[in-house]
Amino acid sequence: MSDNSLPRELERTMARAIRLEYWNIFWTITIIATMGLVLGQSETMKTAWIEDSLGLVPPVMFLIAAHMERRLSRSERFPFGFERVNGLGFFVAAVALTAVGALLLWNALMALWAAEHATVGSVLLFGQEIWLGWLMLAAQLYSLVPPMIIGRRELPLAETLNDKLLHTDALMNKANWLTGAAGLAGVIGLGLGWWWADSLAAAIISIDVLNDGIKALRSSTAELVDGAPRALSSADLSQDAQQVGEKLLQQFPGATVRLRETGRLIRAEVHDTHAPQLCRHPRHYWPGDDDRAWRLAQVSFIPPTKGQNQKGRG
Amino acid sequence: MFAMKYPALLALYLLSACDALPRDPADTSARIAERKFFTVGLFEAGLAQDREVKALIALLEQRTGARASWQAGSGEALLQQLDAGRLDLALGRFRQKSPWKGEVAFGPPLRLAGTGDDPVELKAAMRNGENRWIMTVESASRSVAKGADKP
Repeated sequence: MSDNSLPRELERTMARAIRLEYWNIFWTITIIATMGLVLGQSETMKTAWIEDSLGLVPPVMFLIAAHMERRLSRSERFPFGFERVNGLGFFVAAVALTAVGALLLWNALMALWAAEHATVGSVLLFGQEIWLGWLMLAAQLYSLVPPMIIGRRELPLAETLNDKLLHTDALMNKANWLTGAAGLAGVIGLGLGWWWADSLAAAIISIDVLNDGIKALRSSTAELVDGAPRALSSADLSQDAQQVGEKLLQQFPGATVRLRETGRLIRAEVHDTHAPQLCRHPRHYWPGDDDRAWRLAQVSFIPPTKGQNQKGRG
Repeated sequence: MFAMKYPALLALYLLSACDALPRDPADTSARIAERKFFTVGLFEAGLAQDREVKALIALLEQRTGARASWQAGSGEALLQQLDAGRLDLALGRFRQKSPWKGEVAFGPPLRLAGTGDDPVELKAAMRNGENRWIMTVESASRSVAKGADKP
């Protein structure tokens, strides 16, 4: 473990992830600008534009967390370093997604309820009058491409780093074509004179945003309240952590093993047992491949209280 | 690749349907073409003699093959008629930051008056969402504003 919070093995992968996230931000800004130019009154376009803008939150939070993890050293005020900043970033991104998703869904349903007819007129482009809907469709098509490419590249990095923030971003980007398709359908429906298609597509996009937010919120709050480590892409328990628990129980039968996660690291407490006489690095207890052993950052032993039987001395 | 195929196919289909879109949810354009008239209201009676207003109506009559049917009314009542679909077009002087913006669709200004941040614009208002009809009026308004079709 280095003096900062990031395990040395991850430094190169982290540097690649940071570069990719800068590209992610760049392409997302081009999408936001393109979509912003052709928003019109369409509820679909406004929702898709807000969704694209929200796409900036995970990479920005990731970069802030990565900067603190890599650059800031442990100190008297922060003796455990900044490994949990990533978890905090994940929580902030989850709250933003959930809140905005809920708000967008409410707006879309209200527009549907009020039977709002969105006006999408014409614009002058190079001296030609063109229906703004065509430009909306072009912007929607453009907004599909960069996230799909970036999402595919983010995924393996997120798995290597065991980074939930990056992983959520990768999945959101990969799944972006679904919301893009809903957006295209909304604008085409509007063009066909189906006034409800616009609000309906907006509602579908906002449900997707809300769903991403709720999944991320469940996982991020579990970490913040010292819940058992969760899987990268869901609120299920992490398989890595379950294997760690099983191995510790094998070595210290009768003990109680408690696991939690601080950022990408797992911390274990083995209760009601004495520490083994032979002092071992926590990585010794890692059950899987050695190149993932950095995940287990701490194994602490809490002996039984006075009067309890001594159990499972390893 | 699988995911990319659908947007590409969709784009090809749309290119073949360029002229078909947009359509009006309440079929305003189709109704005007069928019944050969469109209804117009004026915010001020004097506007009927306005050069730009006359040019716009003449151009719309020429492009749609329908004649204008003038409706009595004034102020908010006209905009409410627009919103309810009982009127196809309302003409008047509106502030750029009109509170009706969003409630009805405004066309490009035919003429500007006043100065400052919130000038007054002579322009057409249409029912929201009737996008084909709105495009027809927008196109005619731009032509009038350029002066190309002034009688």
